[in-house]
Amino acid sequence: MNRKGIAGALAVVMLLASSAAFAGGAGEKQTGPVNVVFWSALSGAAGDLQAEQVKAFNASQKDVVADAQFQGAYAEVVQKLIAAMAAGNVPDMVLLDSPFVALFAKDSALVSLDRFAADPKQGVDLKAFIPGLIADGYYKGKLYALPLVRSTPLLYFNRDLFKELGLPDRVPDTWDEFREFSKKMTKADRYGAAFEMGVTTAHWYLQGLIYSWGGQISDEDFNILLESPEAIAAAQFWQDMVFKDKIAIPGIPSAQAEYLNGRVGLVFGSTGSMANLMGKATFKVGMGFMPGKVKHQVPVGGSLIAMTSSNKNRQLGSWEFMKFLTNPANNAAVVVKTGYMPTRQATLNEPDLKAYFEKYPDRRIAIDQLQYARPQASVISLGKGTEILRQAVEKLLVGQVPAAQVMKEAAVDLKKEYVESFK
Amino acid sequence: MSTAASLSGVKTRRLAGRALSHLVLIATCVVIGLPFLWMLSTSLKGSTEVHIFPPIWWPARLHFENFVVAWQTAPFGRFYVNSLITSVSGVIIDVLVACLSGYAFARIRFPYRNQLFVVMLAAMMIPNQMALIPNYVTLKVLGWVNTYPGIVLPHCYSVVGAFLLRQYFLSLPDALFDAAIMDGLGHGGSLIRIAIPLARPAVATVTLTYFIGKWNEYLWPLIVTNTQNMRTLPVGLAMVEKAEYQIGPEHLMAASIFVLVPVLVVFFLAQKQLIAGIAAGAVKG
Amino acid sequence: MSRRARYDARMFLLFIAPNFLLLALFVFWPVIYSLYLSFFKWNMVAKTKPFIGFDNYLTMVRDPVFWLVLRNTFVLALGVVVIKLSIALLLSVVLNRRMPGRAVYRAIIFSPTFTTSVAVAMVWSWILDPNYGLLRVFLNLVGLASPNWLGDVNWSLSAVMIVMIWAGVGYDMVYFLAGLQAIPGELYDAVRVDGATPWQTFWKLTFPLLSPITFFLLVTSVIGALKAFDLVSIMTQGGPLNSSNVYVHYLYQNAFKWFKSGYASALAMVLFGIIMVITLVQTKLSNRWVHY
Repeated sequence: MNRKGIAGALAVVMLLASSAAFAGGAGEKQTGPVNVVFWSALSGAAGDLQAEQVKAFNASQKDVVADAQFQGAYAEVVQKLIAAMAAGNVPDMVLLDSPFVALFAKDSALVSLDRFAADPKQGVDLKAFIPGLIADGYYKGKLYALPLVRSTPLLYFNRDLFKELGLPDRVPDTWDEFREFSKKMTKADRYGAAFEMGVTTAHWYLQGLIYSWGGQISDEDFNILLESPEAIAAAQFWQDMVFKDKIAIPGIPSAQAEYLNGRVGLVFGSTGSMANLMGKATFKVGMGFMPGKVKHQVPVGGSLIAMTSSNKNRQLGSWEFMKFLTNPANNAAVVVKTGYMPTRQATLNEPDLKAYFEKYPDRRIAIDQLQYARPQASVISLGKGTEILRQAVEKLLVGQVPAAQVMKEAAVDLKKEYVESFK
Repeated sequence: MSTAASLSGVKTRRLAGRALSHLVLIATCVVIGLPFLWMLSTSLKGSTEVHIFPPIWWPARLHFENFVVAWQTAPFGRFYVNSLITSVSGVIIDVLVACLSGYAFARIRFPYRNQLFVVMLAAMMIPNQMALIPNYVTLKVLGWVNTYPGIVLPHCYSVVGAFLLRQYFLSLPDALFDAAIMDGLGHGGSLIRIAIPLARPAVATVTLTYFIGKWNEYLWPLIVTNTQNMRTLPVGLAMVEKAEYQIGPEHLMAASIFVLVPVLVVFFLAQKQLIAGIAAGAVKG
Repeated sequence: MSRRARYDARMFLLFIAPNFLLLALFVFWPVIYSLYLSFFKWNMVAKTKPFIGFDNYLTMVRDPVFWLVLRNTFVLALGVVVIKLSIALLLSVVLNRRMPGRAVYRAIIFSPTFTTSVAVAMVWSWILDPNYGLLRVFLNLVGLASPNWLGDVNWSLSAVMIVMIWAGVGYDMVYFLAGLQAIPGELYDAVRVDGATPWQTFWKLTFPLLSPITFFLLVTSVIGALKAFDLVSIMTQGGPLNSSNVYVHYLYQNAFKWFKSGYASALAMVLFGIIMVITLVQTKLSNRWVHY
C-alpha cells in the first residue's frame, strides 16, 4: 500500500486510541472511590478558588473523587446540560444560575435534596443557611439546590473621580441623588452612569430598579405586574437619564468596560464583581447599596449547586462534595477571595472572615444589604423570561420606546411565555 | 493630429492606466492588511496605551508579556494539540472519502449514478445548525461525546471536495483508464496509481482547504466538548473573552494572534497551491 | 448483468459508502429528526413532549421577529453578494495583466479568506470601537463621527456586512482571475482590431465568458450569506433590538438559549426550503445569462 493508505490507517488507529485515552466524563466504578463530576461556570478569581477547594476535598478523604469542569458562563452550562439530558449523559452536579433551578426541577431533571439533608449522620442543618439565600433553591416546597456563590447587586463608583468633582465619598443613596451625581460627572466624553445590557445581567438590575420604586415584576402565581404606575415610572426614569438628560448611556458592549475606561463614574455590578473590578481598575473603586426610591430592595443573584445524578453511589458522593463546598470555612474563603456573599450565619463567625472585615470594613456592604434582599421574580424561571426582560431594557435605553409601551409589550410576552412553556 | 502626438497620447493613457491599477491594488491591500497590523499593534501595547484616541501605532515599549498573560488565561497549549489532532485526522479521513467518492462518480459506471450525485449535492443546502442536537444524541449512542472521534467524524463527509475531484477526474483522458483496465488494474488501482497522482494539484487544494476549515471550526466543537482539555483553539479563544480574568483588548488581540498565526503561515506557504487549485477548479467546474 | 457491470456496481457502492454513511448519519438523519421535532413543543428538558401539529409554523408566520430576521438575512445576503462580487470582479480585471508585484497583491488580498471567524470577529469588534477603534481614525479624517457600530440599530447589520465582505472578497477575486485567464488572448486582439472600447469589450466579451464562474460564485455566496452565523454570534449577538439578527442565529437562540427546540426545528425546515427555492430559481434564470 502506498503512503496515503498507511497514513490513513495510522489516522484511524490514532483516533481510536485517543478516543479511549481521552474520553471525558465520570467513570463507573463498583469498588474504590466514587468519581463525581461537577459542571461549573466559575472563572477568574472564583474559578481558581474553586479548583483549590476541589483539590482540598479530594485530599481530605478517600471515598469520593470530585472533578469540577468549567463549561463556560451560566448560559453555556445550561445549554450543555440540555444537550447532555437529551443524550442521557448528565454530570453528577451542576452549578445553576438561580432562575434555572425551578425550570429544571419542574421537569424532574434535579434530585431532591431533602432526604440527604435530613439524614441523621450525613445531613446538614438547612436552617443554618441564610433564608433569603436558600429560598430559590426550593421548588414546590422541596429543596433542589444549595447556595454556592450568591450575590446581590451593588453600585460601584469611581472614588478618584468623585473626589475630583467634589462629590461625597460614597454612592448616591437615592435614585434622585444618582441623577444629580450623574449630571455633575457629565461632560464632553464622559457620562454619569452606564446601564447593564448584558444577556445574563440586564434583567437583574432592572429588578433592582423596579423593586426600589415599590413595583414588582410578577408574583408567585405568575401574574405579571409590570404595568403598574411604579414600574412604568421607574423605567421612565432610566430612559430619561439616557435620552432627555443625556447623562447616562447603555453599556454596549460592556457597561463595566466603560467604567474601567473612565467614561462613566457609576456602574452596577454584583458583589461577586468586586475582586475583578478592583483588580482591573486604575483608580480607587468604591461601592455601596443600589439606590432606593421608596425603599431599598434588591434581588438576590448568583448560583446554586444542584444534583443531577441518578446513580445512588454517585448521589451520596455528590452530597458529600456539596456539603464540603458549602461549609462555613469554604464559604468564608469565597467571601474573602471573590466578594460573593456568606450563605450561612456561621460563616460570619469564621476567624478568617472576621479578620477580613476588620481590614476592609466597606466590604461588609454585601452582608449589610442582605436585609433588603428578596428572591428574583418568578418569571425569571421561564425559558425566555430573562430574555424578554433584557429586550425591554434594550427597547427602553436603545430604542427609546415609550416606557408604558415597553412594559405593556413585556407583560404580553411574559404572559404568552408562561402559558406556552410553564403551565 | 500627427501620428507622433497620438502615439504619445496613447502612451500616457497607458501609463496613467497602469499607475491607477497599482493605486487601486495598493489601496485594497491596505484595507485588507490593516486589520492584521492593528491587531499586532494592539497586542503589544500596555494597558494604558490601549484606550487612547487618537490611537498610537507603536507602543512606548513592546509588551510581549501580553502574550504570556493571554496564554495563561486558558490552556492554549492543550487547545493547540487538540486542534492539531482533530484537524489532521479529520483532513486525512475527509480527503480519502472525497477521493473515493469523486472517483466513483467520475469513473465507475452505475445505474442511478447521476441521481445519487444530486443527492450528495443536496447535502450542501442543509444548514448545519439543524444537526446540532440530533448529532449530539447520535454521538452519545456511539459513546463519542467529548472525544476526538466525536469532534472529527460528524464533519468528515465530503461534498465540495468530492465534487471538485469528480470534475478533475472527469477531465482526465479516458484512454489512460482504458489502458489500466487492460493491464488488469481494478478501480482501486486506477484510483491510487492513475487518478490521484494526476490530480495532485486538486487533491492538494482540497486537503489544504479542508484542513483550514477544520482548524477554524467553532460551533460544533463548542457543543461536543465538555472539558477544557478537549477544546480546540477557536472554542478556547471565545471562552477567554467571556472569562472574568483581568484581560483587556491587548490580551484578546494577543490571543487572537495565537489562533490566526498557524492559519496564516499555512496559507502563505501554500497560497500558490491554493490559488492554482481554485483556478483549476474554477475552469473545470 | 455482465461480470464487468457487477464488478463496477460493487466497487461503486464500496467507494461511495464511507461518504454516504457519514452523510446519512450526520446530515440526512438530522433533517428527518428536525422535521419530526418541528411538530412538537419541547424544551429539551421535559421527558414528554406534546404534539402540536403545525402550530410552530403558524407561530412563525405571526412572529414579528421572524420577519425582521428574514429581512435582515436577505438584506445581508444581497448587500454582501453584490458588493463583494463587484469589488472582486473589478480587482480581478485590474490584476489580470502582467505587472510587478502581482503575486504579492494577490496573496495579500486573498489572505483573509481562511482566517478563523472567532478571531476575525474579535479583531473587527475592536476596530469598530467608536471610541478607540481604528475605523474611527479614518472616519474622523474625512470629517465623519464614528457611529457606535455594534450598538446602534442602524449600523449593526452594516458592520457585520463589512466584515463579511472584507473576509470574502479575496476568494471571489481568485475565482474571477482564474476565469479571466482562461479567456484566450486572441479574442481580445480580435475585438480590439474591430475597434471595440474597453467598456464594450468588457460587457460583450469578458462578462459573458465569465458567466459560469459568476454563476457559481453567486450561488455559493448567497447560500453562504444565508447561513451566516459566527460573526453575528460573536460581534453583536443579533442586537441591538434584533437589528443585526440573522436567520441562523435566531434559530440558534431559539434552540439553545430559549428552550424552544420544536420552534427551532420548524425554522430550520423553512430555511432549508428557502435555500432550495433560491438555488432552483437562480439555476433556472441562469439559462438566460450564463454561457458555457
